[in-house]
Amino acid sequence: MRLAVLSESSADEAAIRIIIDAIRGEATESVPSLDLRSRGWPSVERILPVVLKHLHYNTDAEGLAVVVDSDDSTIHQPDHEQSEIFLECRLCRLRNIVASVQAGLTPVVNRSPLKCGIGLAVPAIEAWYRCGVDPQINEAAWVRHLQSQSITYTRRSLKLAVYGTERPNIETATRFAIDSANRLSDNLQLLTRLFPNGFGALARDITDW
Amino acid sequence: MIKTIYYRNFKTLRDTVLPLGRFTLLLGPNGSGKSTAMQAISMAGSSSNFFDIVSADLKKVDNVTVSIAIEWADDYRSLDGKRKIEADGLLARLPSPMTVNVESQWRHSGNTIIVETYQNASSLLQLPERDKIIRELSSFRIFSFDANAIAQPMTMNPGIQLESNGAGLAGVLENLRDNDPERFEFINKELGRWLPEFDRILFETPAAGQKGLLLRTKAGLRIKASDLSQGTLFALAFLTLANLPNPPAIVCFEEPDRGIHPRLLREISDAMYRLSYPEDYDDKRAPVQVIATTHSPYLLDLYRDHPEEVVIASKGQAGVKFERLTEQSDVSEILKGAPLGEVWYSGVLGGVPTEP
Repeated sequence: MRLAVLSESSADEAAIRIIIDAIRGEATESVPSLDLRSRGWPSVERILPVVLKHLHYNTDAEGLAVVVDSDDSTIHQPDHEQSEIFLECRLCRLRNIVASVQAGLTPVVNRSPLKCGIGLAVPAIEAWYRCGVDPQINEAAWVRHLQSQSITYTRRSLKLAVYGTERPNIETATRFAIDSANRLSDNLQLLTRLFPNGFGALARDITDW
Repeated sequence: MIKTIYYRNFKTLRDTVLPLGRFTLLLGPNGSGKSTAMQAISMAGSSSNFFDIVSADLKKVDNVTVSIAIEWADDYRSLDGKRKIEADGLLARLPSPMTVNVESQWRHSGNTIIVETYQNASSLLQLPERDKIIRELSSFRIFSFDANAIAQPMTMNPGIQLESNGAGLAGVLENLRDNDPERFEFINKELGRWLPEFDRILFETPAAGQKGLLLRTKAGLRIKASDLSQGTLFALAFLTLANLPNPPAIVCFEEPDRGIHPRLLREISDAMYRLSYPEDYDDKRAPVQVIATTHSPYLLDLYRDHPEEVVIASKGQAGVKFERLTEQSDVSEILKGAPLGEVWYSGVLGGVPTEP
């Protein structure tokens, strides 16, 4: 499968590709000459329609994975899926964009609709990297943080815990991302259990492809 | 390291305080005193002409003093932040909260006076420590790279160093190749990562005693420095400076984003952090205090997790004001879910041009 990934950095993309390959149980391929990058929220929201159109009309991409940080925004919850778009949930907003853009695309001969998977890293992808290392880091804990309860970590402390510095260079970030993703590939169940709505949503999308 | 600088009557900086950290990103509209603030550091302790540096409207006023007071505290952020730094003892620290003030005063009469005051000083402040402070202050360098200067073949001489405009790069790199091959190879490796079309730094001797620079492409082509793009030359200069074994103790980069593709800004930011936080990069040399000025929202975006490193310059009726982003009220609430660069551009953080 030819897969495009829209993420904030090459380090994030490296990890996302490894994890998706593990979910699918087979290696995906990159889309030639396509190096997508977003500048984080909310620019990913603005750029996603363009990316979807480009992939549909100009490439042979079969899948698109988008992973954004939740930062301090509302965490996706199962009940969001039973209602109209949940405006404060980044995952719901991106899903809504995908649905509305894809509904407006002109069919291309011999081209199946692009399969999309969207994940929400709560609060950042470094939290996933700590899965299996620090059980206190999980979506439920971050929800407590959003409810003004005190928890043991922040975005910055996650970086320090993962990289050993709050200021990792891109090479270090990529190395740790790849190592962490390889480790997580053997423990996707735990990642899904600890991050059921942010990572779980991505895993379910990919499994349904 | 410089903790704060107090400016009085120095050009546009009438009564202004600039807070600094190990790394500081300074942004603000044109003419808001960013470059003047940097220029003042380079003049600390010098015998500059009073009339060249006094605020324009004070030139004819009697008994005016121009002064720059530099509050110095060794690696104070680490000490204050209780962060353990391990750099093989390279960080000779002053016991917190001791600070040293070095004040340069210029008078109408032409006198230049250096005043030093030591707060909480003890016998720990021996002469070598004082000399170290003066040495580090006088090593301050403002880098504003110029592609022509970088590309120009240079005359080799002992003690060659990277000039403020990037001149001398060929000689500095050749010295590294000969005297510190490990660093030179690392620069080559990084070059290939930053600019994947290239894989090697080469040298030529266009005339006796002269040294020129070339880059080899992965396809084996040798491209002369004069044929390289401005951004490529700037990136190479950054990369080299970040990997010098003995860079200046305090440096300023004027608009490090200039000529650089936005996607390469992360690497430029990494290079500046490498200078400031060498222990995070397994580099066994003393930290460099880095001050970077910018107008780029893209570069600013990279510091969203470190608002304490961002200082915003504003110019108003009361003169120039420098304010650390974290000192603004409710800033963490304002920045939630919004890219820092865009928020700054909007004007809500200040530091943007004001309507006439």
